[in-house]
Amino acid sequence: MELYVVLKVIWAVLLGVLFCGLAVMVGMDMGVGTLLNFVGKTDKERRVALNIIGPHWDGNQVWFILGGGAIFAAFPTLYATSFSVFYVVMILLLFSMIMRPVAFEYRSKADGSWRGIWDIAFLISGALPMIVYGAAFGNVMEGVGYHYGWTGQYFQDESFLSYLLNPFAVMCGVLSLSLSIAQGGTMLMLRGEEPIYGRARKAAIGGSIAAVILFAVGGLWVSHLNGFAFTAPVDPNMPATPLTGQTVAVQAGAWMNNYHTYPLLWALPILGFVGMLGNLLMNAAGKPVVAWWSGALAWVGVIFTTGGSMFPFLMPCTTNPNQSLTVWNATGSEYNLGWMLFFALVFTPAIIAYTSWCYYVMRGKVKLSSITDDSHSY
Amino acid sequence: MPLIDPSVVDLSRLQFALTALYHFLFVPLTLGMTFILCAMETTYVITGKEIYKEMTHFWGKLFGINFAIGVATGLTMEFEFGTNWSMYSHFVGDVFGTPLAIEGLMAFFMESTFIGLMFFGWDRLSKPGHLAVTYLTALGSNLSALWILIANGFMQNPQGASFDADTMRMQFNSFVSLVFSEDAQAKFVHTSIAGFVTGALFVMGISAFYLLRKQHVALAARSFRLASVFGIISSLAVVTLGDALGRLDYLVQPTKIAAIEGLWEDSNAHGSATAAPWLLFALPNDAAQTNIAEIGVPYVLTPLITHSLDTPIPGLLTLEQQAGPRILNGIKAINALQQYGVTHDAASLATFKQYENDMGYGFLAQKNAPNQDLTQITPANQDAIVAQTEKDTIPNVFATFWAFRIMMFLGFYFVVLFAFAAYYSLRNELEKHPLLLKAALWSIPLPILACEFGWITAEAGRQPWSVYGWLPTFQAASSHPVGYMVFSLIGFAALYSAFIAAELYLMFKFARLGPQDHHAEPTVGGGATMFGKPQVADKSWQ
Amino acid sequence: MGKLFKFIGLAAALALAIFLAVVTGDFGAWYFAWLVGTTMIVLIASASAVMFDTQESNSKGEV
Repeated sequence: MELYVVLKVIWAVLLGVLFCGLAVMVGMDMGVGTLLNFVGKTDKERRVALNIIGPHWDGNQVWFILGGGAIFAAFPTLYATSFSVFYVVMILLLFSMIMRPVAFEYRSKADGSWRGIWDIAFLISGALPMIVYGAAFGNVMEGVGYHYGWTGQYFQDESFLSYLLNPFAVMCGVLSLSLSIAQGGTMLMLRGEEPIYGRARKAAIGGSIAAVILFAVGGLWVSHLNGFAFTAPVDPNMPATPLTGQTVAVQAGAWMNNYHTYPLLWALPILGFVGMLGNLLMNAAGKPVVAWWSGALAWVGVIFTTGGSMFPFLMPCTTNPNQSLTVWNATGSEYNLGWMLFFALVFTPAIIAYTSWCYYVMRGKVKLSSITDDSHSY
Repeated sequence: MPLIDPSVVDLSRLQFALTALYHFLFVPLTLGMTFILCAMETTYVITGKEIYKEMTHFWGKLFGINFAIGVATGLTMEFEFGTNWSMYSHFVGDVFGTPLAIEGLMAFFMESTFIGLMFFGWDRLSKPGHLAVTYLTALGSNLSALWILIANGFMQNPQGASFDADTMRMQFNSFVSLVFSEDAQAKFVHTSIAGFVTGALFVMGISAFYLLRKQHVALAARSFRLASVFGIISSLAVVTLGDALGRLDYLVQPTKIAAIEGLWEDSNAHGSATAAPWLLFALPNDAAQTNIAEIGVPYVLTPLITHSLDTPIPGLLTLEQQAGPRILNGIKAINALQQYGVTHDAASLATFKQYENDMGYGFLAQKNAPNQDLTQITPANQDAIVAQTEKDTIPNVFATFWAFRIMMFLGFYFVVLFAFAAYYSLRNELEKHPLLLKAALWSIPLPILACEFGWITAEAGRQPWSVYGWLPTFQAASSHPVGYMVFSLIGFAALYSAFIAAELYLMFKFARLGPQDHHAEPTVGGGATMFGKPQVADKSWQ
Repeated sequence: MGKLFKFIGLAAALALAIFLAVVTGDFGAWYFAWLVGTTMIVLIASASAVMFDTQESNSKGEV
């Protein structure tokens, strides 16, 4: 295989890893935000909940920023097209996301109804981005309407309403929300004490039950969904442009093709179910550490199940299927992918090392009394 | 090919400018404050005096209020290239996206992870350990400025990539030329140090407020000393780097430097270039392409810009005329490229290659061509289109001229202010100069203003290009309906106004409250001090 | 053991500093200037605060 093809495949896998990192770390914080008003009945309880992720949310959020940057660099055409096609949804996502850093920093710095406003901001900025995150996957699986002019400028062929009012996408959004609630609840159990612990446990269990059901329903739904498939051989080494080089057809059930060809892929959905059930059982048994890692596995299973069924498609196109974005035609140049890989290899271990160190330094339960005595910031 | 709607392009530009300028209200303070906190904490670790810890806590709290919005609005920037500049992202994403991704990997993770420890880790880390964390936060935030300015450097002077006709985009080909581009280097140092000035004046101004009211004098006097010394070195460095950037613009962006200087005719149009005046004041009229009134200082312009005594600087009118042949070549390049996209034949590729370096000027002409289609240009309408396009090759002179001047006048004002402040602080005579203290207090917003005008100079002066010489801004935008843009603009305006109101409320609240009060009475202001246990204040300095 | 780690850590920091200085010195004069200049600004500002304390204790001593 040519080096360029190898790099393309590596970056497709890294894209999946990036989505997993984003889902696990940001999803956890989002879950805490969504659950804030449920696990904390009093102001002090809410502050305990916020301080559980207080030292870490900013670092976790970088997964989201890195997601934007890495897609921009490694898949420029995907970045250019997807963010514009989903404009209204992306802007809603941004509006809700940008409330969150401000809410963290500002909530506890004044009294009274001020805090109530920021509590609502936490709910919106926790739930909405997770729904959008899942719904984006759903919409992409169903295909998106766009085409390119001769310069590579994209043009939209569908109204944004078709992305907002798409039942399959909404279901994916709720699945993503459930997983984030399970993960956020688990984190609250890890660092919190009663009464937060008990409420978080209820929420986390509810979240993973919902996730198991929705993931199963989603799998059945996908097997009947219109998928996309190449109708002529494609050169994976092709220059990265959507303008030429592919012939694609829409076929019902085509998203199952990879699973028929490579039965080993069934390990991925199984991994997803094992993770969800593990999260469920371990939270029920009161073992949040194992539950947290199971919840992370659940995300890995769900995201790679999606990727495994779509590969090599990244964002298929309904109105002009030949211009569908795939791993072969939407990446950066060979030179660029090589440099990016170098930086990823150098910095990812460093990031994992110092993030772990940060969690290690801040280890231990956040207590009600510690908020009043030690008065941490949030 | 569907037409590009000029009003959507304008709205996209408006939205990007508003969100970037808003983001940039908070960034310089972050760049500078982090290193000022480093200096404070270093003093604490060296001397072991509690007051420097108190100082780091107090200024860190104000810093945190600012940092939150900086992070929040930075999210918008990372995604706006994709949401609003689709063609731009497609065209240069292969080279422009890379520094952004590295920024995430190298800088954002570092900054954001360690800032949590910086705020929460006081009781859990050793003194040197915490100091190291503070330094890493400062380094991280400045590294993120480095990578974004490397990306911006590419827009100003595209180095390290070449156009590829098969993928219809610029492809990355030299990491070293991208990262060590002179534009990126000078711009990073200029911007980072401008942040230092902003942070220093912020600390100095609020300290002056306390000194005027004789509150928290021990803390304020020390902060004032540290900030004024920090500021005088930084403000001198900013001016030096400003000169380096100006010379660079002269070398690679002649239209920008001519607009900055309001230079319509060549500098040697009226005799030798040596005597050419540097304009202190002028009213450039873009429609008439001349300055209505001007006051200049002779013999300054040429040495200032060219670092020589007699090199002529081309004026805007000359630059417009020089663009004419490039526009004609560009039209040939784009037509050949379009042909190549359909047929993939060697002949049209060869034609394209011949005129490749002028392809951006062909894109520029597209706006003025019938139906925005270059193939509809005939010998009959060609001259009019080229003439019209020539006028499009220069930026808005009035805006560029004045944005630059306001920034520069402010820059020199900071040098003077910091010089006096540092001098009197070193002599411990501040209390004899209340006017200086008042000037410091009221000057707090000025560096932020100067930074904003610096951004306008750099980016408005780059027009009509989004990537200088290659991709006009007009072509770069996403093809959205106007309604989308109205929706997002209204949303951003509402959210951002609410944020700035909340930020100013808290900033004033905590600045007025001062360092001790919130320690003495933890329940005031929500009972939150940012740094763990309230420290018992050292009575000796109260 | 702790001393050894400290030594290794400091040696690594030193090696990184030398490496950065060589690379930026060769390719990017302004980057080099930033590294040196920022360190200098922070340390001089810090020293000026230390000087404040010295001045204060001196003037107290005179009275």
